[in-house]
Amino acid sequence: MTDDPILIFESVVKRYGDLTALDGVSLTLRRGEVVCLIGPSGSGKSTLLRCANALDPVDEGRIRFDGHEVKSTESSVRLVRQRMGMVFQNFELFPHLTVLRNITIGPTTVLKLGHAAADERAKKLLAKVGLSDKALSYPSALSGGQQQRVAIARALAMEPALMLFDEPTSALDPETIGEVLSVMKTLADEGMTMLVVTHEMDFARRVADRVAVFDKGRVIEEGAPQEIFTNARVARTRDFLSHLGWHGEGAASVSKREEA
Amino acid sequence: MSFDWSIVWSSLPRLLEGAWMTIWLACVTMLLAIPGGLVLALLRLSRIRALAMAATGFVEFFRATPLILQIYWVYYVLPAYFDVQLSQIATAVTGLVCNISAFNSETFRSGIVSIRQGQWNAAYALGMTPANVFLRIVAPQALMRVLPALASTWVSLFKDTSLVSIIAVAELSYVSLQIRAETYRILEVLTAMAALYWLMGYPQAKLVDWIHHRFKVAE
Repeated sequence: MTDDPILIFESVVKRYGDLTALDGVSLTLRRGEVVCLIGPSGSGKSTLLRCANALDPVDEGRIRFDGHEVKSTESSVRLVRQRMGMVFQNFELFPHLTVLRNITIGPTTVLKLGHAAADERAKKLLAKVGLSDKALSYPSALSGGQQQRVAIARALAMEPALMLFDEPTSALDPETIGEVLSVMKTLADEGMTMLVVTHEMDFARRVADRVAVFDKGRVIEEGAPQEIFTNARVARTRDFLSHLGWHGEGAASVSKREEA
Repeated sequence: MSFDWSIVWSSLPRLLEGAWMTIWLACVTMLLAIPGGLVLALLRLSRIRALAMAATGFVEFFRATPLILQIYWVYYVLPAYFDVQLSQIATAVTGLVCNISAFNSETFRSGIVSIRQGQWNAAYALGMTPANVFLRIVAPQALMRVLPALASTWVSLFKDTSLVSIIAVAELSYVSLQIRAETYRILEVLTAMAALYWLMGYPQAKLVDWIHHRFKVAE
């Protein structure tokens, strides 16, 4: 991790009609950093991700990525999106394409990479996520966990500077969550910059460099995972964590859970 | 009552020519009405309201009025009031294409809107252009979903080509009715006409059944 900021949200406001989804969010992500966004459903975490690559335009404030403002003008936003991988809750693999083509379609159509080079890149990524044998399968033949790993490979094939994960394990069966989190952990260990919306508190605690807690469209608390999970200063953070079964136990009992 | 089936055999070359014209009309109409329907569907989905409304008006007019009226309209009104002179075949194709395009546009539109927003977002998130998102991600999936509906439209179109006989286009119905008028062998000629339509239509209906079965929506 360096001090070099790659993604900066400055007082971002996003409204849907009467609903204020983001109410002045400021957050900075540094190169190589893993930041997890936690908080109750509907608190604006996923909206922030969609604003980051302009799938949703912001109403006020601004977002800077790698020194340039993210504007929703079409050509500039495409350059931003090419360098920002995104993984969705519902995977959103393209059902009419094989696993291999799901991964190569970005490089071939957007980066104009040749088919041979794109195939080679895809095969390396499939090996990395442990799905080399599924290259010619269609997404419908894969389990949820496998589909999500393909989705991660699809995003990585663009060789992004930053990865956005929008609740990547929320739609998964419990037994396949681990395989997706391991892939994400590997990426984090390799130094990938990641912004992760998650309800997996163990993952946030073990992998994140920083955790930001959302409530009602605002970041109510931000800090190292140790601080947030063991010593939250804000009452609503403690409420939220206790609802999830975190009762503010000390670090000792937390590490026991990890070993278990 | 005596039957003279020799009329059918001696008229067979003309009947087959008529059948060929029927096939030709249906194929040319569909080839033009697929892009036509796609354009209308995209216009209806356009954010530019004037375009969307114009396309809606066109589609709703051609869907809600009889094809026979539309063919007459093209045949009589275009030359008389708009100074557009078309041959009979061009008139027939114009009427059929307008009608089938309107139906296809609704088929395509329902297919396009059935693709969830997440698929668009996933493709946009890779940095794809809107045109590429549509052509490579949305359109192929939408097409798979609407293939059964498109096939049903084809089967109706194949039979509806008979309506252009009213403006003397020599397709199977027109030729058959001509032969009937020349020979007065009503039963023989109409039987031959029915046999020819059935021989062409039945395999198509079977194909449609197969398509319905094969492309049932599966995620």
